[in-house]
Amino acid sequence: MATILEVNNLVKKYGDFEAVKGISFSVEEGEVFGLLGPNGAGKTTAISMLTGVLPPMSGTARIGGYDIGENLEEVKKINGLVPQDLALYPTLSARANLNFFGRIYGLRGRELKGRVDDVLRIVALTERADGTVEKFSGGMKRRVNIAAGLLHQPRLLFLDEPTVGVDPQSRNHIFESVLRLNRERGMSIVYTSHYMEEVELLCNRVAIIDEGRIIALDTIKNLIAMLGGGVIHVGLPQVDDALLAQLSALPAVKEATLVPRPAAPPPAEGVEPETQEREPVAAGEVVKIVAEHSQQAIVNVIDFLNEQDISLTSLEILEPNLESVFLHLTGKKLRE
Amino acid sequence: MKALSITFKDLQIFFKDRGAVLQLFLLPLVFVVVFTGALGAIGKGEEDARVPLPVVNLDGGQSAQTLLDNINAAGGVRVEPYAQAEAMALLDENEIDRVLTIPADFTAGIADGQPVTLRLVSHADADVKQTEAVRLVVEGVANDMALEIQILAALQQMGEMQAGVPESSRAFTVERMQAQARSQFERAQTQPLVAVTQREPGQEVEQEEPLGLGDIAVPGITVLFVFLTAQATAHSIYDEKKVGSFRRLLAAPMSKVALLGGKMLPNLITGLIQTGVIFAFGIVGLRLLGLTPATLGNEPLATVLVVVLLALCSSAFGILIAALARTEGQIGGLSTLLLWGMGLLGGSVIPLFILERMLGPVPMVVPHYWANRALVDLMLRGLGMADVAVEMAALLGFTVLFFAIGLWRFEFD
Repeated sequence: MATILEVNNLVKKYGDFEAVKGISFSVEEGEVFGLLGPNGAGKTTAISMLTGVLPPMSGTARIGGYDIGENLEEVKKINGLVPQDLALYPTLSARANLNFFGRIYGLRGRELKGRVDDVLRIVALTERADGTVEKFSGGMKRRVNIAAGLLHQPRLLFLDEPTVGVDPQSRNHIFESVLRLNRERGMSIVYTSHYMEEVELLCNRVAIIDEGRIIALDTIKNLIAMLGGGVIHVGLPQVDDALLAQLSALPAVKEATLVPRPAAPPPAEGVEPETQEREPVAAGEVVKIVAEHSQQAIVNVIDFLNEQDISLTSLEILEPNLESVFLHLTGKKLRE
Repeated sequence: MKALSITFKDLQIFFKDRGAVLQLFLLPLVFVVVFTGALGAIGKGEEDARVPLPVVNLDGGQSAQTLLDNINAAGGVRVEPYAQAEAMALLDENEIDRVLTIPADFTAGIADGQPVTLRLVSHADADVKQTEAVRLVVEGVANDMALEIQILAALQQMGEMQAGVPESSRAFTVERMQAQARSQFERAQTQPLVAVTQREPGQEVEQEEPLGLGDIAVPGITVLFVFLTAQATAHSIYDEKKVGSFRRLLAAPMSKVALLGGKMLPNLITGLIQTGVIFAFGIVGLRLLGLTPATLGNEPLATVLVVVLLALCSSAFGILIAALARTEGQIGGLSTLLLWGMGLLGGSVIPLFILERMLGPVPMVVPHYWANRALVDLMLRGLGMADVAVEMAALLGFTVLFFAIGLWRFEFD
């Protein structure tokens, strides 16, 4: 399979803030590739550089064989962008919006009309084509937003958080459209989201991005396999290195490490730190146990703690999914 | 073509906004009517129609008094006697608009058939049309009176010369007397006995007649409002950035210059339509309202060309505002401050000759000044394209400058 997108060490800074810190990855023709990360991880900035909206500070990327620095015009013809914002003109009809974006890509006359009808069919909005966008539901607007990115039949489509603020029914419509575009038209797709369920459902491979870096990149199966037989969080009153070593040595336990305490959030503006409401924090520490076999590991850990007369303060068994992988890798939840 | 697609889309959006359309086309017309009406051409009652005319009578003779009586009787002007020092002081303070001075030798000069001169001095801010009307009344009355006195004097002289001479030997027949009267009348037509000079205090030579508030209404309001549309360009770009469509346009295969060009063109087109509406109203509407109508001047093509440059300059200024402002509030604030400020400074509200007298060359720093000068010269003074070449070049220069700075400072990210 040919590579349609190859990214090498791409960097973007805003003043002193480094939004994207040298990311590298590649996407194959016909692949649905996921960029999974929390809000502010750098996903949109990365896409903005790849679509020519922002110039990178350093690094390179090739799309369809064209360098984004040297052949941006060609790259733009290959790319399609569905931005996170509803990039539409609310007082115009869906058709007028699509006609405009089609003309921007050089479509005219019968060809333009045909493409507009085609994308309206894809997003199931043919019946509402002449309705004013401002009167549409959030989900319908999202679908027009996607349609606008498909008009010029891009080889590589960037979908940036396309389901934000969308009802379940419209979300399903969007998923179906994405899968159909990929399967029936062979369109390569880069799909960014902070919803792990969407990425698990749609993507072949996933890059997990956090604080501007790609911290893991593989197929979903392999990423989840990083968790081994599962991950267990055990709350204990007190933990020392000796206890961690003993837990790591238990049968069916691969590794036992202390979960770092999350940094205290900065005080809200205008509020004294002492008066801020804080989530109650359980006393003691949390040990993350990566198991070879989660059920056996739980039994062994509980038996060991009973023998040592150490009482449990909490016990959490993490589902084997991308959310757990992200938590395992960063110590944070995706939606924190 | 892609830039034109942006233009077409922006025009579609604009014309769907009825409030914006009304503001674009109706508001300037209201201003034109108010400013033209400020001349006092409408709503005048009979009593108010008499223009007060302060007079300094240095002669005090019979002819001077007859002149003043006749001016009062002529209608339209009301004579108000003043002492010379008082009149000059009041004129200096702009408490009165003008003063007519009758020279000390007026009665004697008229009687001797010698030319005499009445001096009409007007304040710089005086309504020039009113002053001109006063001058015509005074001149007409004075010449009629002088002619009458001379003809009567000539006839009286001929009568005295023939006193005692038998009727058959009299040299001055009825025919000769009629011929004498006709000759004096004809001479009075070509060489009036009484001249009225009009000038402003301190002026030694007569200057080009300045224009009043009403004269500049159509060109001034046109310049002001076409520039005000610049904020529509800035708002349109801000809205595109806000909803994210600007990002989508940046991701499309088109250059940044074409993108900004496409955002400028709608303003150019609406500016031209707006000007068309103002001019049409100025030519037809003002006439229907009984006000002084506007004209396109002797070279309408030159006027159109200036308007195109004006709209282009306004569009480029819109890009500059979009580049400088970071928020919607800043766009509103900057637009209000700069566009109204430049309009006031550039002669859209106050006639340029007054501004130049008050501020010297300062108004030249704004494009409104050059646009107003060009339109006033073309539409009111009847000059041609060659006469406004400098003004047109200045407008083009401002356009290039605004667009270049806008492009340089524009944050595409």
